[in-house]
Amino acid sequence: MRVDATRTEPRSPPAAVVVVAAVAMLIFTVPLVGLLERAPWSDLWRELTAHETRAALRLSIVCSLWSTALAVLLGVPLAWVLARARFPGRALARALTTLPMVLPPVVGGLALLLAFARDGLVGRWLHDGLGIQLTYSTAGAVLAETFVAMPFLVVTVEAALRSMDTRYEDAAATLGARRWTVFRRVTLPMIAPSLAAGAALSWARALGEFGATIMFAGNISGRTRTMPLAVFTALETRPQGAIALSLVLLAVSLVVLVLLRHRWLGSA
Amino acid sequence: MRRVGGVAAVVGLLVAGCGNAGHSGPGSLRGSITVAAASSLTDAFTKIAAGFRERHPGAKVALDLDASSALALRIRHGAPADVFASADEVSMRRLVDEDLVRGTPTVFARNRLEIVVKKGNPSHVRTLADLARVGTVSLCVETAPCGTLAAEALRMAGVTIPEGRTTRAPNARAALTAVAPGDADAGIVYATDVLAARGSASGVPIPDAQNVLAVYPVASLKGSKHPALAKEFADYVSSPDAERTLRRLGFVAP
Repeated sequence: MRVDATRTEPRSPPAAVVVVAAVAMLIFTVPLVGLLERAPWSDLWRELTAHETRAALRLSIVCSLWSTALAVLLGVPLAWVLARARFPGRALARALTTLPMVLPPVVGGLALLLAFARDGLVGRWLHDGLGIQLTYSTAGAVLAETFVAMPFLVVTVEAALRSMDTRYEDAAATLGARRWTVFRRVTLPMIAPSLAAGAALSWARALGEFGATIMFAGNISGRTRTMPLAVFTALETRPQGAIALSLVLLAVSLVVLVLLRHRWLGSA
Repeated sequence: MRRVGGVAAVVGLLVAGCGNAGHSGPGSLRGSITVAAASSLTDAFTKIAAGFRERHPGAKVALDLDASSALALRIRHGAPADVFASADEVSMRRLVDEDLVRGTPTVFARNRLEIVVKKGNPSHVRTLADLARVGTVSLCVETAPCGTLAAEALRMAGVTIPEGRTTRAPNARAALTAVAPGDADAGIVYATDVLAARGSASGVPIPDAQNVLAVYPVASLKGSKHPALAKEFADYVSSPDAERTLRRLGFVAP
């Protein structure tokens, strides 16, 4: 819908709309200014290298990378099936895939808990049969993050697969390439930018996960207390630490946004 | 009883002062108030608020339930609250020091700590020392009264639970739900919380020598838009009616 400026001069909206737009911008910017205004700039380094903060940072990086890896390994095949396979219930499968994007994370955490707790539907045989307990473990935190973040990857990759020109794949197949080869050598390179964008999005979402994690994996220092949980826990005792951690999360979000700006904000 | 009568008289005077001389009985108080109460008071204050509304059909009571420390922080940051019922005197004192409290806080109940375990106690927890050997232990954050008191009880018992096995809940009720329906093995909460779990979790008493009593003060707040109603509620919390409710739910008399 972009208007070519060389041909038609874009009409500016009426003043009233500009005023409302400014108010809308304030809703986004005022809280950020509030955060920056209270930031402990002179002590920032000390706050970020405090033991508790370092533990949360390390854990957040580990968990979010694991969850992104899982999202790619499991999500790309899922996107592939959703985009290309014809099967009954595909619409339902697609809806289920995107459900965690709109579901309140706390509800997701409760659902995970009921399924994977030691007396839960699946958790029972995981625990009794294999001796695996996901609740209150780092693996549980990864699972909670993956639950919430994977849809972002699936949706992005599926859209790319559906909109790509399939003639290249057809040509490769005509030339005798097997299906795996076509996927590896033709499809994957063509959707690579979307795959990267989807991975970045789901990584950012995993990094920010709070509700499902605290519900399912608890709030254990060094084990499941990721950065958002550390912000929450530190708020009363060390507000400066909470603000410092929030700044890190804000910076990460900005970096992801800048990297993806061409996808979302056009090339303007 | 004499005190309640006095309160009614005071409230009557206050209301009369507002120009409502024709309806000076306590039952005629109107308006809506927010009561910020420690999360361990969830059940007690739900019942007490219902009893209060019965006496004052024109009154609306909304409950804000969380850790006392979190509530005190919120109130200091300007959260609307007419009455504050804390599970410790430290949080209340903070508000008194900042001149946010009307009058003097009254202690209306006490509460014992108790170990909460999964239903039927499958990991055979008998003492605080056993908490050092079970899997995950649910405690309140150290700032919440239940976290501070649990730390003191553990210190008195000479027990150290590694932080790497401690999941920290924001308040007492959250610490309880981490054990049931959650998946933590044990936790330290209030005796009243174990009772409130109604059989979905079991309790293991902590002997007096290692137990620490939580003290619950209540006060009306200066920021209230309905000071008479707020004071009436704060006083009602110490009434025989409310005391019966508190006793039934496992609280200890002040």
